[in-house]
Amino acid sequence: MATKWPENRRVIGTNVPRLDGPEKSTGKAKYSYDINRPGMVYGVIVRCPHAHAKIKSIDTSAAEKMPGFRALHLIAREGTELYYAGEDVLAVAADTEEHALDVARAVKVEYEVLPFQVKESDALENDRKTLAPLGPRRERDNLRPPQTQESDEFADGMKNAEVTVTGTYGMPVISHQCLEAHGLVAEWGADGGLTVWASTQAVVGTADALARHFNTVHKMDMAGKVKCITHYMGGGFGSKFGPDVQGIACAELALKAKAPVKLMLDRASEITTAGNRPSAYGKVTIGGKKDGTITAFEADTWGTPGTGAARTVGPLPYVYLFQHKVKHTVIRLNLGNQRAMRAPGHPQSCFFTDCALDDFAAKIGMDPMQVRLRNIPPDDVNAKNTDPLSYPAMRGTLYKKQIEIAAQLSGWANKWHPPGKGGDGPIKHGIGMALHTWGGFAAGPNDVTVTISSDGTVLVQTSTQDLGTAQRTVNAIVVAEILGLEPKDITVQIGENPFGRSGGSGGSTTCPSQAPASLLAAVKARDEMFAVIAKKLNAKVEDLSITKGKVVDKASGNEYEWKKACALLGTSRPRGVGTWSGAEAAKQANAGLSKGGVGGVQVAEVLVDTETGVVRCKQIVAVQDCGLIINKLACESQVAGGVIMGLNYALFEELIADRATGRIVNPDMEFYKLGGINDMPKIIVHMIDMPERGVIGIGEPPTISTHAAIGNAIFNALGVRVPETPFTPDRVLAALAKGAK
Amino acid sequence: MDHSSKRGDRPGVSRRDFLRGTGAAATAVASLVKVPGVEAQEAKSGADVVAIGPGPVKLSLEVNGTTMTTNVEPRVTLLDALRNYLDVTGCKKVCDRGTCGACTVMVDGKPIYSCTMLALEAEGKKIRTAESLIDGGKLDPVPAAFVACDAQQCGFCTPGFVVAMRAVLDANPKATPAEVEKGLAGNICRCGTYEQMRHAIEDLCKAGGK
Repeated sequence: MATKWPENRRVIGTNVPRLDGPEKSTGKAKYSYDINRPGMVYGVIVRCPHAHAKIKSIDTSAAEKMPGFRALHLIAREGTELYYAGEDVLAVAADTEEHALDVARAVKVEYEVLPFQVKESDALENDRKTLAPLGPRRERDNLRPPQTQESDEFADGMKNAEVTVTGTYGMPVISHQCLEAHGLVAEWGADGGLTVWASTQAVVGTADALARHFNTVHKMDMAGKVKCITHYMGGGFGSKFGPDVQGIACAELALKAKAPVKLMLDRASEITTAGNRPSAYGKVTIGGKKDGTITAFEADTWGTPGTGAARTVGPLPYVYLFQHKVKHTVIRLNLGNQRAMRAPGHPQSCFFTDCALDDFAAKIGMDPMQVRLRNIPPDDVNAKNTDPLSYPAMRGTLYKKQIEIAAQLSGWANKWHPPGKGGDGPIKHGIGMALHTWGGFAAGPNDVTVTISSDGTVLVQTSTQDLGTAQRTVNAIVVAEILGLEPKDITVQIGENPFGRSGGSGGSTTCPSQAPASLLAAVKARDEMFAVIAKKLNAKVEDLSITKGKVVDKASGNEYEWKKACALLGTSRPRGVGTWSGAEAAKQANAGLSKGGVGGVQVAEVLVDTETGVVRCKQIVAVQDCGLIINKLACESQVAGGVIMGLNYALFEELIADRATGRIVNPDMEFYKLGGINDMPKIIVHMIDMPERGVIGIGEPPTISTHAAIGNAIFNALGVRVPETPFTPDRVLAALAKGAK
Repeated sequence: MDHSSKRGDRPGVSRRDFLRGTGAAATAVASLVKVPGVEAQEAKSGADVVAIGPGPVKLSLEVNGTTMTTNVEPRVTLLDALRNYLDVTGCKKVCDRGTCGACTVMVDGKPIYSCTMLALEAEGKKIRTAESLIDGGKLDPVPAAFVACDAQQCGFCTPGFVVAMRAVLDANPKATPAEVEKGLAGNICRCGTYEQMRHAIEDLCKAGGK
């Protein structure tokens, strides 16, 4: 019989403080950045200062004579063309961090400076063809051919519209701004093995990629000889999936220096070179009836992924299933390449769709909440039969319920007013709403091993990493539930690739992969334990069960304290390995262990000062479903954190490239703004617990709709649309000035 | 730094002397931190001060009640001295220019950005880092509240916040939540744990910071 989640849950779904909280909050936890190895030296990367250049010469002779110099690793060569300011040229290592910086400064690189393009709007006017050749036709174009899509009845939909509204909307490139920079410590052992302590979202993937590099480039045999350790990591948000350039460079330096090397990116490099969220701009037209029914959606969008070529928007229209015609143009610029960032593409798509929807609602004079209720996609009738726990099967019912809860918690009925009617004084009140969706399915495969010892200790081992989601505690909660223990009784070891397989922590896949694997492992270990002790208890295996702290023999009615029961194990060590993956989750027999496809609704309330342009967000209500909740405390803090990241998108964040030099002018934390505690609204999180669906990931969805909800709240306050994030005073005042004309 | 705090046992230059000597405060501070060798040269042009460095000099710091010694170049910040030379890594290096607060430590009870202070300036002062807030498994009430309310995610900013909050409550055990928040205005969290931090602040203020 397939394993199920327990019907009556004693630990799962309760508030469990994260097990590693004391170590983290008191600085005892050792992150990769904190690893200091005996004899360790420091690595620094020398970077190209030009947005587009060819290397004419590299002279390291002076650098190699500098005090403390230990090793040099060339990343680029003479003749190499570099495509953005900050691109890696070479790496050096020296005995101290100070000396390493001196050595880097002593490297002389001569460049032939080439034409570049760093602004989307400039590229649209004049394609300077300044990028690396792409595809079979070796195109250097800034503009990629547009991608278009049109639904069958779009033309009819637009024809049937009684009202059409067109608006422009946009979001700039922003930075992941991980507080622990990308980087690692690399150390070669006497056995030829490589150990790295890497700040990564993919422990196994990082080890594998490093092994591949040395196998390929140095013809070494690194099979089973690369160990990646990530016990703690300080933020990734989608930007830390492999060793990266600095990972390879660090391991190469360590090989050459014959010493452990620490190479962490400095803040400017972190922001400029270690990924970013692509920009998205666009023109959206919504057509519909005066009763609020939207009949057609048209979007022409563009944005830059930097030097890459990836799309910069997600599905459009977003959440809703309007008849649509969409076009997207990728603009390649001489900026660092984009990387996945917390629900890639979704915040952008949400902003286009939900802001345009509010502008349409204003045009027909309707409450935008009512327009949403009228247009949310209905439950899919076929899915209700074939896959009743799926998102399509329940989306209509779910969003309706979530909108109602969000309206009630935010006081929407009393607080919403027609746009521009936010009060008579200079400070205007506004309220706005937005919807989002995400997957959060299992991926993998992920292996979890549970071992029970005769002293009663329980060890859980898995290679996965904790990005800040309290992953250790998830594993402990599930195992404690099955073994009748408390989470603190469980020892959890994570973040080492020899512990088995695990996927990278992307797509909110970690919890839905790890929790079922932990369940299966714990059940197997428990059953193996029963098999060993049944004989010694003169009991039948099938009569044994576990309640809180005790093993119970149903037949005799005898109860055995956990430790006493474990003492009967003698030298045996019951061990269960559980494996979970997307493929396992998709099997009908496994329905209910993990799922994906969530909905969420957020309502933001703002005060806008029309004299200064300053926006203060007063309150945000976040209603979110995520299947079976494992740790309510951490789940709610994950949602609140997502909201805060979305608020930062809305009010503060923008990476600014300088047209004249091609460089990022704010690769820091004083001019790249993030909100502090004084900038934060009251955040009300409401989780919809749907245990029948199984575990679903929650990391990404709550950050998606916040900026659109805030944008709509500002529109509600002012009656004019501030079209682009961040909603800084200058943009607010410009929109007011434009609206007054 | 007061004139009288100049160390008697080793010739040195206080920041005030140094700034007076060069007469160009902004440039001087920048060069003091960034350019090796420059500080020694320029300081020589001052009146009666004796330069140290640019090579390593002996550094003795009192960290969490323990005297720690090492050798650092005078340009090394307190943050780098703690992390790179003394293996005290609770203070984190993030922005490295006095913006984010992840490197916050207490110096004689006051919270400071350890990336903005030279290690040599901290000699003779009592330095307290987040590591002092756990004693044999017993947590100080501030980190305990962070744990109980889950006011941390990735945790990289957390020791800085915890030290800043401990300092606010030490200075004023009757601080209101608004006052505590003001004391945290110099710290930045990327994961967005401020809502849970407010829960922790509320609990701590009710208990008088204990």
